[in-house]
Amino acid sequence: MRKIIKNPMSLAGLIIISIIGILAIFAGYLSPFDPNYININAILLSPDRTHWMGTDALGRDVFSRMLHGAQISLLVGIVAVGISTIIGIILGSLAGYYRGIADTIIMRLVDVMLSIPSFFLILAVIAFLTPSIWNIMIVIGLTSWMGVTRLVRAEFLSLKERDFVLAAQTLGASDLRIILTHLLPNSLGPIIVSTVLGVASAVLVESGLSFLGLGVQAPTASWGNILTDGKEYIQFAWWLSLFPGLAILITVLGYNLLGEGLRDNFDQNT
Amino acid sequence: MLNYLIKRTLWMIPMLIGISLISFFIMHLAPGDITSNESAFNPKASEESRQKLRELYNLDKPIIVQYGLWLKRIVQLDFGSSFASHQRPVLWEKKDENGNIKPGLIQKALPITLLINLLTILLIFSISILLGTIAALKKNKIPDRMITLFVFIGFAIPGFWLALILMYSLGVVNQVLPISGLHSIGYEQMSKLVQILDLLKHLALPVFISCLSGLAGISLYVRNGMIEILNQDFIKTARAKGLYEKKVVFVHTLKNALLPLITILGLSIPGLIGGSVIAESIFAIPGMGKLFYDAVLMRDFPVVMGILTIGSILTLLGNLIADLAYAWADPRIRRGLTK
Repeated sequence: MRKIIKNPMSLAGLIIISIIGILAIFAGYLSPFDPNYININAILLSPDRTHWMGTDALGRDVFSRMLHGAQISLLVGIVAVGISTIIGIILGSLAGYYRGIADTIIMRLVDVMLSIPSFFLILAVIAFLTPSIWNIMIVIGLTSWMGVTRLVRAEFLSLKERDFVLAAQTLGASDLRIILTHLLPNSLGPIIVSTVLGVASAVLVESGLSFLGLGVQAPTASWGNILTDGKEYIQFAWWLSLFPGLAILITVLGYNLLGEGLRDNFDQNT
Repeated sequence: MLNYLIKRTLWMIPMLIGISLISFFIMHLAPGDITSNESAFNPKASEESRQKLRELYNLDKPIIVQYGLWLKRIVQLDFGSSFASHQRPVLWEKKDENGNIKPGLIQKALPITLLINLLTILLIFSISILLGTIAALKKNKIPDRMITLFVFIGFAIPGFWLALILMYSLGVVNQVLPISGLHSIGYEQMSKLVQILDLLKHLALPVFISCLSGLAGISLYVRNGMIEILNQDFIKTARAKGLYEKKVVFVHTLKNALLPLITILGLSIPGLIGGSVIAESIFAIPGMGKLFYDAVLMRDFPVVMGILTIGSILTLLGNLIADLAYAWADPRIRRGLTK
């Protein structure tokens, strides 16, 4: 923790994502209005003291929608990365620890998945399913586990030959115990880095999908679909386009800074 | 070298089988079968086209047989016809019963996307090499920090948002650049040179947007590679024997730092092809990305499956070329000194 604060990159990243995280968690309390409340008398108002970020074409308060959108974007990002990290750890452990046929099959699967353009893959799956927030999380998770798998496998391969692992094996520790108490804790650093960076990409993918109308569906607010709604009015309601884009930019930047800062720290340790 | 070439090319066969398995699996994700109403199949489709689809994918046969037949069609590059777009063939032109030639959808769209991606790659590499080299030479000084910040923001900026802003400021308010399509009105009457200029003007914004997200990874890669190589013994030797600093940096260091970029280039192809969806649909460019997006919206499954497969094959080919180029460029591999 002290190292995070010492590195200016990871410190800036941590501050950014903490602020956005707090705003998202307490969106229900912080929102001045109901995010889906339609007010015909307050259509396309520019930002002022009551509506901090103005109102949209249906008279909904943009600030409240942005806060609830933060909740959705972060939820999708974190759950999707959670799914891909769990898959990656399981497959990477199997491949790196047992080698042999399991390793061959898993790594070939990784190669195949990496050669399918991932945005095409995601869109294709969504074409066959219906777009909903749960499907989006699962689809992003299921199409982005390859990096973690390679990482965990590589860590395990080098750790497995170390004396403490050989000692544990000689003492008769079970495979599961060796993986959980010896190998995984020692490969945690790179896994955390890739998780943090993964959230950044997942937030970008989700907002892109929602922008294309294939992600989070109305009336649920997400940064991507606020922007889609707003783009029709860009000539006379700049606030509908400016704020969601900035929010995505700052969030993704925050996760990237933290991730790259952490990577520098771990690299210095080794 | 020849051994490597043969091995590397044969390696694509299992990969293609894997890709076909995954595409086949995705097609079967839809609840019920893809012709039923419940799976949100285009309600406008007639019973006749539904029957056609069932026959096309042999949905009445056991799943193993279905896969075998699907594989056989992929091998022959037969992806059927689009549901929408007047039943045009998905991949390549075909003659219909009346002898009219129906142009293929991917056939028309692919060159456009390839052109955009080629320009994007050129731009990403030239900017990244420049930025990465400057950052490495001024390591931990102000230029390095500024470049790092710039590429981070470039990665974090949502492309569709920047596209909107640029379209509005450069296309609508100032009218410097065209904001949609590939050609201006009256394109046919222009001279060859003006035609090319017109095309480049239409491609300027989409290419710029597509290249932003790729800058971060590659310029950081060049920077770190340069720093690592600058610390190596042969660079110290080069300096010790009194070579000009310019020659040390540009000949000895940069050449070695650029070598791994060939592999990175191969790896970045799927991202670029997939990324074309957003840029092309915003700027209304009739390439693969736009075709794919429209097909997804219309639930035009033959087109979706066709592009998914062709996109993957393109990635495989790109990786193949990158690996072979690497083997050719690295004397250690070329002379068979390492595997």
